[in-house]
Amino acid sequence: MADSANAPKPSSSVKLVLLGEAAVGKSSLVLRFVNNDFQENKEPTIGAAFLTQKCNLPTRTIKFEIWDTAGQERFASLAPMYYRNAQAALVVYDLTKPTSLVKAKHWVAELQRQASPGIVIALVGNKLDLTNDGAGSGAAESGDDSGDARKITTEEAKTYAEEEGLLFFETSAKTGYNVTEVFTAIANAIPETSLKSARGPGASHAAGRTEEQRVNLNGPRDPNAKEGCAC
Amino acid sequence: MLNLSSFVQKAQQLLDPTQGLNLTDSDRNPSKASLFQNQFRLPDSQHPLFEITAELTIPPANVTQGGKDRDGGYHYVGKLHLSESYLCFSTTPSSFLQSASTSTASAFTGQTHGGGPSGNGFTFPLCSIRRVERLHSQNFQFALAITTWNGISQEAGKDKDKKDTRPEQRITVQLAGTRVACERFCDGLKKGLRAAVGSVGRLKRVTGECYSEYLLRPEDKKNAAAPDAGLGMLFRYPGDPKKLRDRAKMRLWAEYLRDNGRNVTLIRQPTFHKLIRVGLPNRLRGEIWELTSGSIYLRLENPTLYADTLAKFEGQESLAIDEIEKDLNRSLPEYPGFQSEDGIGRLRRVLTAYSWVDPDVGYCQAMNIVVAALLIYMSEAQAFFLLSALCDRLVPGYYSTTMYGTLLDQKVFESLVERTMPILWEHLVKSDVQLSVVSLPWFLSLYVNSMPLVFAFRVLDVFFVEGPKVLFQVGLAILRINGEELLDAADDGAFISVLKSYFARLDESAHPKSENPKLRAVTRFQELMVVAFKEFSEITHSSITELRLKNKDTVLNNIESFAKRTAIRNLGPDSKLLSTAELGALYDRFYGVLYERQQRDLIFKQDQARRRSKSSRPRLADVNDGHDHSVEKGRVGLGPSTSLMDYDAFREFLAGMARWAISDSPSTPRRETFPQDKDNRGFYNSFSRKSDASLLSPWGAGPEPADHEFLQRLFRMWDVDSSAALTLQNVVTGLARIKGKRDILGTINYFFELHDDDKDGNVDREGILRMSEALLFLSRRGLEGSLSPSNSTISLNGMADGGMNGLTNDVPGQTVNERFLGSVSAFIRRCFEYADPDHARNQQQQYFGGSRDTQQKGDEGKPAGGDELADPDAFAIGDDDESDDDLLMMDSPTGSPRAAKRSDTSPSQRAPSIRLNSSTAPSTINDDAASDRRRVSRAQSEKANIALDPSNPLHITLPTFRMVVLADELLEQFFESSFPASFHIIEGLSSSAQTPTSSTLTTFSSLGMGAGRAVGAAFGGAASATSPAVAAGAGAGRGLRGVLDNIVTDGMRVAAEVRRRMEEAQKEIEKNALPGQRVNDDDDEEDDEDVGPLSTGGSGSRTGGGAAGKMTVGGGYGGDPERRSVRSSDRDLLNGADAEASDVNLVGLGETESGVGRNRGNSDASGKSTAKVVGVEFDG
Ligand SMILES: Nc1nc2c(ncn2[C@@H]2O[C@H](COP(=O)(O)OP(=O)(O)OP(=O)(O)O)[C@@H](O)[C@H]2O)c(=O)[nH]1
Ligand SMILES: [Mg+2]
Repeated sequence: MADSANAPKPSSSVKLVLLGEAAVGKSSLVLRFVNNDFQENKEPTIGAAFLTQKCNLPTRTIKFEIWDTAGQERFASLAPMYYRNAQAALVVYDLTKPTSLVKAKHWVAELQRQASPGIVIALVGNKLDLTNDGAGSGAAESGDDSGDARKITTEEAKTYAEEEGLLFFETSAKTGYNVTEVFTAIANAIPETSLKSARGPGASHAAGRTEEQRVNLNGPRDPNAKEGCAC
Repeated sequence: MLNLSSFVQKAQQLLDPTQGLNLTDSDRNPSKASLFQNQFRLPDSQHPLFEITAELTIPPANVTQGGKDRDGGYHYVGKLHLSESYLCFSTTPSSFLQSASTSTASAFTGQTHGGGPSGNGFTFPLCSIRRVERLHSQNFQFALAITTWNGISQEAGKDKDKKDTRPEQRITVQLAGTRVACERFCDGLKKGLRAAVGSVGRLKRVTGECYSEYLLRPEDKKNAAAPDAGLGMLFRYPGDPKKLRDRAKMRLWAEYLRDNGRNVTLIRQPTFHKLIRVGLPNRLRGEIWELTSGSIYLRLENPTLYADTLAKFEGQESLAIDEIEKDLNRSLPEYPGFQSEDGIGRLRRVLTAYSWVDPDVGYCQAMNIVVAALLIYMSEAQAFFLLSALCDRLVPGYYSTTMYGTLLDQKVFESLVERTMPILWEHLVKSDVQLSVVSLPWFLSLYVNSMPLVFAFRVLDVFFVEGPKVLFQVGLAILRINGEELLDAADDGAFISVLKSYFARLDESAHPKSENPKLRAVTRFQELMVVAFKEFSEITHSSITELRLKNKDTVLNNIESFAKRTAIRNLGPDSKLLSTAELGALYDRFYGVLYERQQRDLIFKQDQARRRSKSSRPRLADVNDGHDHSVEKGRVGLGPSTSLMDYDAFREFLAGMARWAISDSPSTPRRETFPQDKDNRGFYNSFSRKSDASLLSPWGAGPEPADHEFLQRLFRMWDVDSSAALTLQNVVTGLARIKGKRDILGTINYFFELHDDDKDGNVDREGILRMSEALLFLSRRGLEGSLSPSNSTISLNGMADGGMNGLTNDVPGQTVNERFLGSVSAFIRRCFEYADPDHARNQQQQYFGGSRDTQQKGDEGKPAGGDELADPDAFAIGDDDESDDDLLMMDSPTGSPRAAKRSDTSPSQRAPSIRLNSSTAPSTINDDAASDRRRVSRAQSEKANIALDPSNPLHITLPTFRMVVLADELLEQFFESSFPASFHIIEGLSSSAQTPTSSTLTTFSSLGMGAGRAVGAAFGGAASATSPAVAAGAGAGRGLRGVLDNIVTDGMRVAAEVRRRMEEAQKEIEKNALPGQRVNDDDDEEDDEDVGPLSTGGSGSRTGGGAAGKMTVGGGYGGDPERRSVRSSDRDLLNGADAEASDVNLVGLGETESGVGRNRGNSDASGKSTAKVVGVEFDG
């Protein structure tokens, strides 16, 4: 939380939004990333949840402001509220549920049209532990015998991700496989220029960060530029 | 005694919530019923039938609190209401002790400000009333003593113990009104009571499930099992009962219920509201929730609905069920009851049953949490009805598919924060904190998953009695209490964590450092309640609803633009054939029509209801409560209740963008109250209730749509899953096939498919007639679109053409249309000519061959057994240029060898045939129809007759149809351009060349004359044949319509009719077509109205033609090379008729006609069009 502790490395915050069908494991991924924990019966997200977590890169620290949204279809109209100004998005599907990839594609399309230009999107197939390749390998081939719950091949999703220029991962929130990797990859993919300084809980002086600043993702920010007008 | 009359006045003032509010008449939009229903939380079935000011007296035995009167009882002045099955009484709190939440400003709306069971009083189901007596006392001029069935279930159990039970609940109500008014009220009450007798059993059953019945049972009778008071009975209720002082609360409630009646017979006195504020005891919580929310009345209305629903839908699947299953394990997982199969099972059943009874809502995440909370305190059935009360009344739109209620209340909440805590608001804006991220879950889950359960339930206790304003008050109080810390929070994360830690410490002391032990004992939650209901007492039901009204459009527009965007993106591959603008416009039109239709329906119904209840005075609640949302039913933002378009809506939809879909004979006069461009933009906003008049017309402000067989076909075609309703997807797919491909063959195929009822690739005689009829229908307002690049320079969209022959067309559009009618008549003929017989093929073949033999020497060598399509004679006679021959040859594989051969010889063959035909004509003039018929022996007429003979079933195939269409340039253009262009998806009709106004209809009637001519030509021109001297004018138009109607209603009869007319046309043609009559005489076709010149025209023969009006076939077109197709088709007809007439009178005309046709065909037109057609044909 207190980024003042990380003084040596430059720290920037990145707004990240999670989107995807209900119960694909968005909240679980976040919980894994933030608390390294997993709950079998996680309550559905109502509206959205907000969490933060830092991600240490060699050259800098990224503070993720994570917006975890509700997955049910009817909550979709709330989503613009949350992905507004997001610099990164995690579009999650459940690789045991074909419909969830369809929904994920809708989200990708929505983001590409409506979200901030230059948003970094990662496509994430979750619940890898339910497949044969488990959380072990990169799951290049999926054996389709012996109770494999996988319904979406790596190939299919990967091809799509490449077409759309998305980062692509298969993860398991349950085992933790590949979870931090997703966030690290996103952190690395965020263009340096679009990074702004992190805000801390006590940093009320930085409250001057206004809407235009968020919208304009180009150009470095001076965190103190607006200090004067903070109330 | 009290001064009643002043009380009455005061009470009336207080009870009319519209007083003091600046509401316009239209805003008020009164539906007293809905105010009444909300006030007493009654089902929608209840309407305020009678009301009268009254004074309620509760005898001292029943009194726990209240203003003590010198008479000994307790008196409440208020209004007594009677509905179909309820007797309700309500006061305003100002009559008594000031309640904590009641400020002076809102006093007139009662304690709950119109949002719930306000103040003190009762809500008795009539079936709970045992006896009503008229008291004859001096003091009480008109007083009733009401005895209830309070404790009914026990009494029924042991009748002989009656004496031991407590005295019955008996109250007096003194009516204040004129004697007549009182009598009327009592009459109504009597009637209602009589009707309610049958429901006593139901009441017993319902109250039997109330815990209060068990609670108040004498100890010795408590052996029976207690009613289900929720999972808490099995898994313990949340919280420490000691800390909650549950026993003490229970005792207080037992006393209150004993004194004031239980469940449905409960009388609300001030203590009631206080007891609720301090928190309900666990075992009574469910019942009081049920009572205050009014869901018990829903249960009373249909006690078995829950069980019935489960039974009815047992084993069925749905999307909602899938969604529910996902969340069952994720609902209050920390409560032990929901780690058990029992608890999960209850949750599953309640959510599932509700999703069946309210498919518009289905299942929404957060409902699982709310219902789980309810199930801790109440039975499944109780939770089911309470959920229904929530979704319908308390938080309308929260769980709907668009969640507009949630979004709206977020907006309202934000504006309340801005209004009441401007500094905090400013801070939120500056630090870009999304307030709704924290507040949305508060509202959506009614605080259940935000606060510790024990406290959330306390909020719910108040919420159910006082309504949704409680959610706002609590939310505002949370922010105010944490204001300082929140002002320090600079981002969402900090903001959220402040609130999180606040919720975690709600049970701690609010003033831990205070010296005053009393203050120290106040918990943070108590503080929250005080702040919520004291400091934010100005937040009333009416202020909330006012803000809702204000923000509604913005919210709905946002939802709608999102929904539109999403819907369009997800329309599937077919939608790619249309442009984004077209899809957007289609979307708007689709939902616009559905919306307006529902509006009209609703207003209509409301109007009726209003008329029913004469005494209604405008009331605020109609605009202000949740129910006003139903007024807008149909709007996209409000949910999916109308994503389906039925046939009538489809007609209206089409009439908004296609001229031909507008009725010619509107049954209701059209009102021009709306701007013409309203279908394009902002259809929701343009809607205004003030224009009731136009909306009450069955078609609103728009033109009345036609109801034509073609529309029905189109509807059925688009309705791919035969659900008698179209989705937007259906409409888009349907239109994409017509408008999207821009490919003539596609359109032709489509049209054919449209008429191929059994999808066997054949269209029978009926179908052919229907097709041509559809063509006439579609073209009757003129053709649209642009001409394909052909030899013709006629612009189809009504522009005058620079005719290369130098002809001027005064009314070019009409002329084109007339020509099209000619094309249609040619179409019919050709279809029948080239139709395949369904059976008896050989016989017919022989017959054809024979007739050919007799007439057409040149063709004799050809085998008779060939394909009709390639029948050279038929073709030669029926057609006039090379292109058709080529086309025929290419199109019909079986016939191609011969056709190829034919193409060389056709000119020479055609001439004799025409000559032959013509030569038969003259005698017809002198012959009567009978002799004509007898003489029918020539090939063309035979064919025509056989074609029309119902005893010779025949059909055309798609290739035939295609060929016939492509044989005619105008038809070809119709399919290539006009038909697709006739759907004005984006611009609508207002901005298109021709507005569908009555002037169009005039145009139609004039076109009708033209049509009459063409159809007359096609069908034989009955009118002219029978009475040539009759001026045709409107008569011909009617004649056409008559034909059309007949075709629709009685195909067989029309077939016969058509045949008759074709025969008769023979005569007519012969009369008109005298040798030497030149055809490029434009006067008689352009000057339709000019009967004089026509009837007195240069030659006798022309008189006949003129008199027949536009029935004249041959005359007008001859000299105009631009009209080749029409003329050629006319000639087809001529030929047919000639053959039938089998005489020689028409020689001259025949020769001239064919000569012109051939010349033109050979020279300019046909070469080009042939090439083009061929190309299209084979590319396709
Ligand atoms: N086997 C397995 N189960 C998982 C995994 N991730 C999540 N789940 C389970 O899937 C269910 C849904 O997980 P959530 O994280 O709540 O899903 P969500 O996408 O946040 O759902 P919404 O909030 O409703 O949109 C829970 O029961 C999780 O235990 C995973 O990697 N493997
Ligand atoms: Mg979630």
